[in-house]
Amino acid sequence: MTTEQQPLILGELPSLSKLYMNAAATAARRRLMGFQAASALPHGSHEVRGVRADVANLTAYQHLIGETASDVLPAGFIHALAFPVAMSVLNRDDFPLPLLGMIHLKNRVEQLRAVQFSEPLDVRSWAEDMRGHRAGTQLDVIAEVRSSKDGALLWRGVSTYLAKGVFLPGIDKASTAAAPTAFTPPAPTAVWQLGVDTGRLYAAVSGDFNPIHLSMLSAKALGLPRSIAHGMYLASRALADVGSVKSEAFRWDVAFEAPVYLPARVALEIGTVHSASGSWERSDYVAWHPRSGRKHFSGSVAAL
Amino acid sequence: MPAAAHSASEPHESRVAPGTVRRAVVVGGNRIPFARTGGAYAKSSNQDMLTAALDGLIARFGLQEERIGEVAAGAVLKHSRDFNLTREAVLGSALSPETPAYDLQQACATGLETVLGLANKIKLGQIDSAIAGGVDSASDAPIAVSEGLREVLLDLNRAKSLPERLKILARLRPKDLAPDAPNTGEPRTGLSMGEHQALTTAQWKISREAQDEIAFNSHHNLAAAYDRGFFDDLVTPYRGLSRDSNLRPDTSMDKLATLKPVFGKSLGAEATMTAGNSTPLTDGASTVLLGSEEWADARGLPKLAVVVDGEAAAVDFVHGKDGLLMAPVFAVPRLLARNGLTFEDIDFFEIHEAFAGTVLSTLAAWEDEEFGRTRLGLDGALGKIDRAKLNVNGSSLAAGHPFAATGGRIVASLAKMLHDNGPLDGRPARGLISVCAAGGQGVVAILEAYSAPEGR
Repeated sequence: MTTEQQPLILGELPSLSKLYMNAAATAARRRLMGFQAASALPHGSHEVRGVRADVANLTAYQHLIGETASDVLPAGFIHALAFPVAMSVLNRDDFPLPLLGMIHLKNRVEQLRAVQFSEPLDVRSWAEDMRGHRAGTQLDVIAEVRSSKDGALLWRGVSTYLAKGVFLPGIDKASTAAAPTAFTPPAPTAVWQLGVDTGRLYAAVSGDFNPIHLSMLSAKALGLPRSIAHGMYLASRALADVGSVKSEAFRWDVAFEAPVYLPARVALEIGTVHSASGSWERSDYVAWHPRSGRKHFSGSVAAL
Repeated sequence: MPAAAHSASEPHESRVAPGTVRRAVVVGGNRIPFARTGGAYAKSSNQDMLTAALDGLIARFGLQEERIGEVAAGAVLKHSRDFNLTREAVLGSALSPETPAYDLQQACATGLETVLGLANKIKLGQIDSAIAGGVDSASDAPIAVSEGLREVLLDLNRAKSLPERLKILARLRPKDLAPDAPNTGEPRTGLSMGEHQALTTAQWKISREAQDEIAFNSHHNLAAAYDRGFFDDLVTPYRGLSRDSNLRPDTSMDKLATLKPVFGKSLGAEATMTAGNSTPLTDGASTVLLGSEEWADARGLPKLAVVVDGEAAAVDFVHGKDGLLMAPVFAVPRLLARNGLTFEDIDFFEIHEAFAGTVLSTLAAWEDEEFGRTRLGLDGALGKIDRAKLNVNGSSLAAGHPFAATGGRIVASLAKMLHDNGPLDGRPARGLISVCAAGGQGVVAILEAYSAPEGR
């Protein structure tokens, strides 16, 4: 278990733009010099202590996502807060997979209690469970956010990424391809209109300037026909749409399927499940392309 | 489907026979600290702040997933997209989404009028519970496009062909691109509220020192109330503020005396209204929880005060017959007479401090024999109030005045004061609220400490 080692303490949150630049340089170097990828993930975690949310940025994030600007950090905002630490792990020289072009397959968050914007937080991240996928190699990036005051775990995120087309020796390809599930779109409960600037607006509040979200040109440079909406923007907006019905502690899952090319209209259905006593149990959401009916993503928010 | 406990078809808990009236009680209140414009809430919208105040109230009284009879609130400076501001705040709150809501707007009297309207519905048995409130942001104020640009945009939308559109666009002039920001000017006079009050202040010969003293007392009373924990169950911190940011506990008469007049400068030496004795533009929100006695009892909630009665008045200020902010001067005697009360029967006076000059002009009019006879139709002066009973826990000069949020601030604070005070001379403690408003309007109300009815 990697967390048993002492974490590498970083002095401050790493700059995401520098990490992306470094990732591009690493990719170029590995291509030129040749790179014998190890079949194991680096051991050890990275940690930044005493992280505080910037309140102006928080308000901008809340307004973009459709949350009311309350003093409680949205679960997706905490993901964005922890993301630079996670990226620094994937940016290590001994990290075997190419960072750029990795695909976010799914995300799972456990929000254990409401976190106030003024609380100092310790953010730790590491990678684990590198395993085969029919299209390449996948792994989990874990982020844990604790109270700097008492060390209590407040938030835990597991992001599953796929390095497409990368097959490492010693890691077996997933034996069977997942059976494609037929999807018949239900009646939508909402339709989102996403402008072409959706990616840039989310980059501005999340700090994640991944070129595939910013513009058609930068997306083309990475092999996409157009820019795509950020997965965590979509999932965070669905979480905001679930709304205040959710309990203070909850689990939030999302699985991404077809990317949302911008600009876009996204059809969405949110269904709520109440217990026999009438209290909220779960809200399930699914989003699809309103014309083609292709599923973009689905997930749920459930009481913990 | 939600479970039956939350069903929209759930009947009222109690029935009131038609023609009878029951009591409406103030259970409690919650507001966020008020912030000077451009400060801690600069980026927060009206909906954000109203939801924050509402969520604090819900948490304080355990109203999560509760279906409230009705919620009414409003804002004076309001974006056109916020037409359903209160309902949107309810949907964003922890209340049951089956809680209806409406917006109300009566300038600075908005907050008090929501309390009176909802209390009346409770008294009539139409609803068992209600949340009244108000919010305003001078920071996140709406800015409209100019009339010229607005007309061009609307015509453009109706145009069918490209040549038609180009012809319409050609009408645009550079000046049309200048935005139209809101201001505190009266539409019919072009004078700002401060300029109007400066005329009234001079008319009633209110001294600079008397105004500064009102401001001094407001800051010191509010600071003392915070220090003794009076606001602990009335205020929820928001965006890092836990006290009103306009509060200056260390202000002094000397400091206030150094400030230069900002309103009525044309009056020369008679100009007395400064930034110290006038209320600054402020952002904030407040809420008040109201209910029938049965509703509060069923949930084990406190019953602080009873909403006794309210009265609105308006004055003909346009051509200077009365001062813009003098309507409460006329509302109060009518309200007292209807309830068979005099100033002697009132233990707390909450006179909203739009300007120190407003409070003092109001008191001067009530103390004036001739005004009482000729304008109020009384035998003489309405009366003199004991200054020791005036705004005892501070008011708008210290707390700030986010227009529609002021009524809720006053009602919740006064209800708590009345409750803390208990009975006086064998009768429940009584409080009078007076709020002036733009357009020459005013709303006043009487609250009484809650006491159990005879035989209970």
